[in-house]
Amino acid sequence: MIVLGSNSEVAQAFVEEVLQRDGNLEKLYLFTSEPELAHKFAQHLQVKYLQESEIVMLDLTSELNFSRFERVESSLLFCAVGYLGMGSEEGLYDTKNTTRVLDINFSRLIPLLTHFAEKMERRRGGTMIVLSSVAGDRGRQSNFIYGSAKAGLTAYLSGLRNYMHHRRVHIMTVKPGFMRTKMTEGLPLNPVLTVTPSRAAANIYTAYRNKRNVIYVLPVWRLIMFVIKNIPEFIFVKLKL
Amino acid sequence: MKKNFVQKIANWGNYPVVTKNIRTADTLSAIRSFVEQHNEVIARGNGRCYGDAALAENIFSTARLNKFINFDRINGIIECESGVLLADVLDLIIKQGYFLYVTPGTKFITVGGAIASDVHGKNHHSEGCFSDYLISFKLMIEDGSVHNCSESENAQLFWSTIGGMGLTGIILSAVFKLRNIETAYIRQESIKAENLDQIFSLFEESDSWTYNVAWIDCLQTGNRIGRSILMRGEHATRNEIDAKKRETPYVIKERLLPSVPGYLPSVLLNRFTVKLFNKLYYAQQRQKKTENIVDYERFFFPLDAVGNWNRIYGKKGFIQYQMVIPKEHGRQGMQEILSAIAESGNGSFLAVLKLFGKNNPFAYNSFPMEGYTLALDFKVNLQLPTLVAQLDTIVEKYGGRIYLTKDSMSKNSLTNYLRNVENPKFVSLQHKRILNSTITSQTTHGTNSKRNRQ
Ligand SMILES: Cc1cc2nc3c(=O)[nH]c(=O)nc-3n(C[C@H](O)[C@H](O)[C@H](O)COP(=O)(O)OP(=O)(O)OC[C@H]3O[C@@H](n4cnc5c(N)ncnc54)[C@H](O)[C@@H]3O)c2cc1C
Repeated sequence: MIVLGSNSEVAQAFVEEVLQRDGNLEKLYLFTSEPELAHKFAQHLQVKYLQESEIVMLDLTSELNFSRFERVESSLLFCAVGYLGMGSEEGLYDTKNTTRVLDINFSRLIPLLTHFAEKMERRRGGTMIVLSSVAGDRGRQSNFIYGSAKAGLTAYLSGLRNYMHHRRVHIMTVKPGFMRTKMTEGLPLNPVLTVTPSRAAANIYTAYRNKRNVIYVLPVWRLIMFVIKNIPEFIFVKLKL
Repeated sequence: MKKNFVQKIANWGNYPVVTKNIRTADTLSAIRSFVEQHNEVIARGNGRCYGDAALAENIFSTARLNKFINFDRINGIIECESGVLLADVLDLIIKQGYFLYVTPGTKFITVGGAIASDVHGKNHHSEGCFSDYLISFKLMIEDGSVHNCSESENAQLFWSTIGGMGLTGIILSAVFKLRNIETAYIRQESIKAENLDQIFSLFEESDSWTYNVAWIDCLQTGNRIGRSILMRGEHATRNEIDAKKRETPYVIKERLLPSVPGYLPSVLLNRFTVKLFNKLYYAQQRQKKTENIVDYERFFFPLDAVGNWNRIYGKKGFIQYQMVIPKEHGRQGMQEILSAIAESGNGSFLAVLKLFGKNNPFAYNSFPMEGYTLALDFKVNLQLPTLVAQLDTIVEKYGGRIYLTKDSMSKNSLTNYLRNVENPKFVSLQHKRILNSTITSQTTHGTNSKRNRQ
């Protein structure tokens, strides 16, 4: 299994879910920009499951050299790479923030995903599970830079799924809604709409086994986003969302 | 949405509820900067202490320090971060034939919390506290530096942190020893006692058993005071369990976990329902003595089977009153305590009696001392402070003390026993409350004596 963004709590919970349910993995690659945490996680997996893993450094804000990933291959990829950046109030006119948000969530991530998609196409099989966001369903005034990058990612995944469908590679888009993670620590989240990383991982695992294409981690989000997507623009523009 | 780390928070008793700054982190540098940037910091594990011990102006939650670091499967030694739950440790070790030496009545506490409260189990008389099996831990102190502490390295920091209620710093990780088991089952005997005299004799008779605990019906009066059931247990050997279980001796049936959905109206718990519960509980065991084999979950963690059971006490919450009275006064003290409770009519749903053995003199901040310990749950209401004051007076008279990890209301002279923990950085609301009431009681005492002299 290849894990992009392996310090994300959902990614870690998903890895544990797979190890618990399916037993050990032949190869586990943990991609990370924070080696301290990745090492901790690798050691944890070693103690708990006797699972070996390899840590691969990845920094999406710098130029990527794909030749480093030559040996990295697996039939399962989980991508939890994401960067919220600042909200519109603070960050909209901050070019550095905008570039970073676009780089990590979209422009530098897409070539990376494509790189691994190509490997899966060559082996004629595999699954890619990628976390996008409900923020990509419609641009809202509070965080539309992040939202637009995620919208781009969602569109890319939709196209890739279509393309890969004929090549036996399964692409799954996951829209998490609110999760209790580092990214949302300190935000006032509605408990009914919020999942813990381990709950999210369990739901994602089930959807992966059922070969679902696009899932909202909590089903209630499908309804919420259905409503938000269908509000006519002339009304939407006046709302404070 | 703006980030706001200030949140409403309470520990297991839902009393008191405070609004404080709570954060969590998993990198050393982030933890360090939290410590550097704030005053009045306390670590919080899983909030299973009942009162205000894990609360402060700035709370560092160890929720993300949840990784295992090492497991020596041959010698039974484990190392993990401080936020790992005992439940996670058990999940990992039981199938390897190991168990915890000391575990409290819930497995949903963290390793850090187990050290900071130096928890005890049903085997204190025979095997001591959590710290008796602790090899070392890493502690972050006020300047953000990390120190390895053991009996031989930073010994003073080691001993003052054990039972030190988080007041010496943040425990980051720990190494401790495990015990061997042949099965995940316990051979249990339950024996009924009609009154206090019988239960005390039973405890003394059962001294050679590893685990002993008694449930007391604390609403009985007269010569039925102390009516109770003693449960004693040993880890079952392979030969003691039936053939079917022997095939997979470390696997037990998973229990369905019901959960209390929300706070129940607190009128549901009153003198009559508690009396009825106790009556039924006592009556369900027909014979004077029963013997059976139960799995470790049922023996050690019966309460964990019901999620959020703390909510049955209603929104106002509850306290747990746990005291210890030195052995020589145990009978007398318990007699008075139980009479006072029965008289007050303030029934406790859950009253647990244990006999502590000798304490480890090095672990000077640990709560246990040789004697009888009783733990009682009380719903918070207007009469409760009066009852607590009454009970405190009895405990004090016999030279006992109160368990800090349960305390939120008791007298400072019973709760100020910690040594070598004064630190301007790490201060809990509990510690402030105890210090403040010490100062107030000293000044009132002072004015009194002046008045007396005049
Ligand atoms: C149902 C139930 C049964 C119980 N039975 C028993 C029993 O039989 N015996 C017994 O001894 N106790 C018992 N307890 C109490 C419980 O074991 C202790 O309160 C334990 O300390 C709770 O651990 P926690 O991880 O939830 O810590 P918290 O409640 O979050 O914190 C408890 C204390 O530990 C400190 N602390 C926590 N983590 C750290 C850290 N990393 N570094 C420094 N300080 C830290 C806090 O500051 C606080 O002072 C029981 C509790 C419940 C709810």
